[in-house]
Amino acid sequence: MMDLTDLPILSIILATPLIGLLVVLLLPKHRNRWLQAAAIIFTLIPLVLSLMLYADYDRHQGGNAYEETANWVEVPLNKETQASNGVTSFTLSFQYDLGIDGLSLPLVVLTTLITAMAAFASVHVKKRWKAFYAWFLLLETGVLGVFMARDLFLFFVFFEITLIAMYFLIGIWGYFNRERAANQFVIYNGLGSAIMLIAFILLVSTAGFHIDQDTSTFIYSGSYADIVRNLADPSAWVNLAPDQTGGLNPFHMSDAMHTVIFLLLVVAFGIKLPILPFHTWMLKVHNEAHPAIVMIHSGILLKMGAYGLIRFGIVLFPEQAKDWAIVLATLGLINLLYGALVAFRQTELKLVLAYSSISHMGIVLLGLAAFNEIGLQGAVFQLVSHGLISALMFLLVGSLYERTRTTTLSELGGLARSMPFISGILLAGGLASLGLPGMSGFVGEFMSLLGLFDSQPWIAGFAVIGVILTAVYVLRAVLKTTFGPIDERFLAVKDARLIEALPMIVLLAFILLLGCYPSVLTDTFQYSVDGVFKPLFSLRMGG
Amino acid sequence: MDSFTQTAWLIPLFPFAAFLLLTALGRGYRRAGVMIGSIGSLLALIMSLLVLFERLDPNAVDYSNSYKWIDLGDYTLKVGFEVTNLNALMLVIVTAVSFLVNVYSAGYMKKDERITVFYGYVALFTFAMLGLVLSDNMLVFYIFWELVGVCSFLLVGFWYARPAARAAAKKAFIVTRIGDAGLLLGIIVLFWYMPGHALDFSSIHNVFNEGQSGAITMTITTSIALLLFMGVIGKSGQFPLHVWLPDAMEGPTPISALIHAATMVAAGVFLLARTFDIFEASAAAMHTVAYFGGFTAIFAATVALAQNDIKRILAYSTISQLGYMVMAMGLGSMTGGMFHLFTHAFFKALLFLAAGSVIHAVHTQNIHEMGGLGSKMRITAWTFGIGALSLSGIPPFSGFWSKDAILGTALDEDPFLFAIGLAAAFCTVLYMSRLFFIVFTGKSRVRQPNEVRESGLAMAIPMVVLAVLSVVAGFVETPWNGWLGNWLTGGGEEVHANGFAIVASIAVGVLGIYVGWLMYGRAYREQSPAAARMPWLVQLLERQYYVNEFYNVVIVGTVRWIGKLLHAFDEHVIGGAVRLVGFTAVAGGRVMTRLNNGQTQTYGLTAVIGLVVIIAAIVGRRFW
Amino acid sequence: MLPSYLTMAAILFCIGLYGALVKRNAVIVLLSIELMLNAVNLNLVAFSKYGVVPSLTGQVFALFTITVAAAEAAVGVAILIALFRARGTVHVDEFDEMRR
Repeated sequence: MMDLTDLPILSIILATPLIGLLVVLLLPKHRNRWLQAAAIIFTLIPLVLSLMLYADYDRHQGGNAYEETANWVEVPLNKETQASNGVTSFTLSFQYDLGIDGLSLPLVVLTTLITAMAAFASVHVKKRWKAFYAWFLLLETGVLGVFMARDLFLFFVFFEITLIAMYFLIGIWGYFNRERAANQFVIYNGLGSAIMLIAFILLVSTAGFHIDQDTSTFIYSGSYADIVRNLADPSAWVNLAPDQTGGLNPFHMSDAMHTVIFLLLVVAFGIKLPILPFHTWMLKVHNEAHPAIVMIHSGILLKMGAYGLIRFGIVLFPEQAKDWAIVLATLGLINLLYGALVAFRQTELKLVLAYSSISHMGIVLLGLAAFNEIGLQGAVFQLVSHGLISALMFLLVGSLYERTRTTTLSELGGLARSMPFISGILLAGGLASLGLPGMSGFVGEFMSLLGLFDSQPWIAGFAVIGVILTAVYVLRAVLKTTFGPIDERFLAVKDARLIEALPMIVLLAFILLLGCYPSVLTDTFQYSVDGVFKPLFSLRMGG
Repeated sequence: MDSFTQTAWLIPLFPFAAFLLLTALGRGYRRAGVMIGSIGSLLALIMSLLVLFERLDPNAVDYSNSYKWIDLGDYTLKVGFEVTNLNALMLVIVTAVSFLVNVYSAGYMKKDERITVFYGYVALFTFAMLGLVLSDNMLVFYIFWELVGVCSFLLVGFWYARPAARAAAKKAFIVTRIGDAGLLLGIIVLFWYMPGHALDFSSIHNVFNEGQSGAITMTITTSIALLLFMGVIGKSGQFPLHVWLPDAMEGPTPISALIHAATMVAAGVFLLARTFDIFEASAAAMHTVAYFGGFTAIFAATVALAQNDIKRILAYSTISQLGYMVMAMGLGSMTGGMFHLFTHAFFKALLFLAAGSVIHAVHTQNIHEMGGLGSKMRITAWTFGIGALSLSGIPPFSGFWSKDAILGTALDEDPFLFAIGLAAAFCTVLYMSRLFFIVFTGKSRVRQPNEVRESGLAMAIPMVVLAVLSVVAGFVETPWNGWLGNWLTGGGEEVHANGFAIVASIAVGVLGIYVGWLMYGRAYREQSPAAARMPWLVQLLERQYYVNEFYNVVIVGTVRWIGKLLHAFDEHVIGGAVRLVGFTAVAGGRVMTRLNNGQTQTYGLTAVIGLVVIIAAIVGRRFW
Repeated sequence: MLPSYLTMAAILFCIGLYGALVKRNAVIVLLSIELMLNAVNLNLVAFSKYGVVPSLTGQVFALFTITVAAAEAAVGVAILIALFRARGTVHVDEFDEMRR
């Protein structure tokens, strides 16, 4: 195998869907099969590449790998300055900086995997295929960029790309209320992005500030590495109180400012996660968007929220995260129980799954709030696991809807008779979702709760109730669909075609693999958790 | 020497391979499917017997081996297997019953179109159960514990098109899940309080064996024990989580024999045995366990008196017998509990298989639509009779010895529980004789009497084998020979030989049969004279003390109500807030539109006013 | 000297602003805008002569502004004529195309 480090492998992965986008644009617009084939090919290539990357990744080094940097935006500000040491020039510098560590690599693989599977699931798309696949591929680039970007503004730009691509994908190809759903999606997430942008600007103008001694320039840097380094460095400008610098230091970040930025980040990414009560938009999306799009949305886009929360919230502001852990844990508990209880009352399969996502994201929050390595590992594991499971579930919903033309629970029933394969997979997916050991859901849940018990035993105790409630609503929905007497209308429907069965089997295989041998995944991010978060835990031990 | 022991991890893999093969083959190969399932369990049985023979050597050493599963910070979670005498005994019980049920099902399920799916599920269950038995630490134990639960769920709901089966499957899963949540929490607590975060059974043994070694405080020990016991309550159908087990009879009868009588429901008792040291370290926990078991024993036995469904009677009987085992554990007699588990596995599996044979012949489960079957189904009647006598605790059948071991312990430890146990034993004999007399003697009340005939060889042979086992299995541990106890516990437990207990239990048995014959044997009656005098009591028992109704109203109702409330909250309060924000924005936009009159000069004026305000603000700050 | 120039410029500017905002005739509005531009020019020149760091930059800049102002006036009048042809009026309050 050739050495991956010789190539700009991350850029290649990132650019492949864009090339696919060009190819799709060149194809004739009524050739549905060609277009889908192109989409599948150009999502499979990044999948293969990212799997190679996954195999190649050195699990023991923990930090950033495959870093690729280029100057992207450099704005000289040329502000007159009174600095005595001869520095005369201010520069705003944003880098095209890609990199992955153990935290983002699994999410990159998850992205490429689920997008490829969603490309298969797009077989049910009925109109304007060309535009669909174009937006679809753009979306993949956006999501991959979010997970790879190591620069705040690059991150922001990719984040916005996903927003726009999603907006059109929901608004054009969804069900009846698709436009409403798309509007609500874009308003909510736009708000989140705005808040995130404020937090980022605050970060760049304080923590991002440093002096380059070689060129003697003052730099406002958007580089993640710079910001992490500056925040950790007690002699960096951001950490020097005004009385240490002779009365004036505009770059100083006070404790209150720390908290403000942290909370801004929590809200910004909390909307994406979603944390209650910011969840209504995501119900609409789950209910109205095309299932292939919901696969990506529920499987990956929600994970961007949690990823951002870890990457920017917890790593940059460990002290604040620690102070607010109890709040996060409570929010997580509320998400978990509230989602489960409301899911129990839903009459629409898609909404059950939507609330189930809220509930499962509560577990992620609990794992984060545990504020120890086990909990954090559990949270990341839960991210990947829920991504796979919810993608599988919506893949099934798509196939079901194609056959039954309804996903209302009261109209379904007994489908195991006419489509044993789909029903079997649905049951397996349901079991994975309720945390059956041997499937990935259990591992994430167990590790999160295990970690949480150490720091917040009572909340962990209550969270266990969620384990029961999850079983209640999942079984209710799945059994209502597949078991029981069958409606005559559904007697003649056919079971899954090969192109539908293939992604189902692949996703289920990954769920089982992670459930039976979780080290495949945990080994990858364990050292990142260790390495990147070590200072964070020493903090906990210390005080 | 210990070569079989060291390769014991292969045992679960035979049925697992069978499961994979069956799943891959699909529904087409019916005959081959039956063969694959049976051969898988037969190989497992042979292997288990080989392991057991090795373990019989008094010098055999416990063997365990484990591998990394997850690295958690500084600690590694492992998966592994362990072979001890206790495990070896369970291995044989599980594989033996599993194999016999496989053979039996070839006859019983012959006409079902999904027979290969059935065999696949049974193979998966056998794999999971064997994994549970072999597991070397709590986490692996929990994993397989859940897997057997899910197999049970699948098999209870095997005839998925029936709404009753669907409801029963769901109930089975959710009710046991309540217990499992406790077990999970127990494991989490255990993880954090064990020295070195070890979860394997040998470390647990070492830490807790010394009683209170000081490593873990009393409160924590008790809470761990009680949390683990929650799992037992769920899985082994103890009160108050017993409600799923009678409903689980919706599954095919061979499944009731395998899962809901012999193996899975006994897993709770097995868990008590594996973590016995934790319980022994806390007197409070032991008492709780003993009283829960005792109460369940008498509670379920009385309910069984008034049921009319042959499988439900046996199901309540199972709950009652599991109560005995749990009570024995709580009284400190691990041998008694395990011994009863051992004998019960055979005679209760036998009873279910025989009941299945009856159902197969008459196509009903209502005992009042049977009657007089003894003459037409001799093998079934004889084997059922042997099972019933064994369950009733009549010497020399195996049930007598094991029940006597428990009652003997109870008499020494806690006379009150002894009395309860004795009363439950009386009820047991009574409902078994009621069942036997109504079904097998008297006049036939069958709808189509001509179609009733003895089941085929595939079904008869397993029943005969189990009948033989039910007779002889009791001799491994008798009041004068504590071989099983010595072998299981390494000679740590004294034998509770108590003449009074023996006499009392025989007396109760004989009396029960006599009363049963008086009431039901002499002539068939829809209702016994005693029952006719107390219709409210019969009603109470028939409705199973209204536990289901109570749960439906109190627990299910509450959850529904909360769900409804939160759903309304979600719709109106949160959704309302969102709509309010949207409305405000739109309304604001409307107001602003008024300003937008297209007059450039108005715009200019607005801009100037804005400029003035900004300047005023900036300049004004100087003066604050 | 500086304050008197600045006062002069301010007065000019205010007159210009008043005219631009109030007058109905578009030609007068354009003239008023020119007036405001010239007020700015006056400021530029004044600062370049009497400011803290006197330099020629300000005067050069004033020349720039004059050029731009000329161009602006030309374009403005052209639009005005076009509008007059289309609508038959030069009253500003009758132009509300921006609303549609």
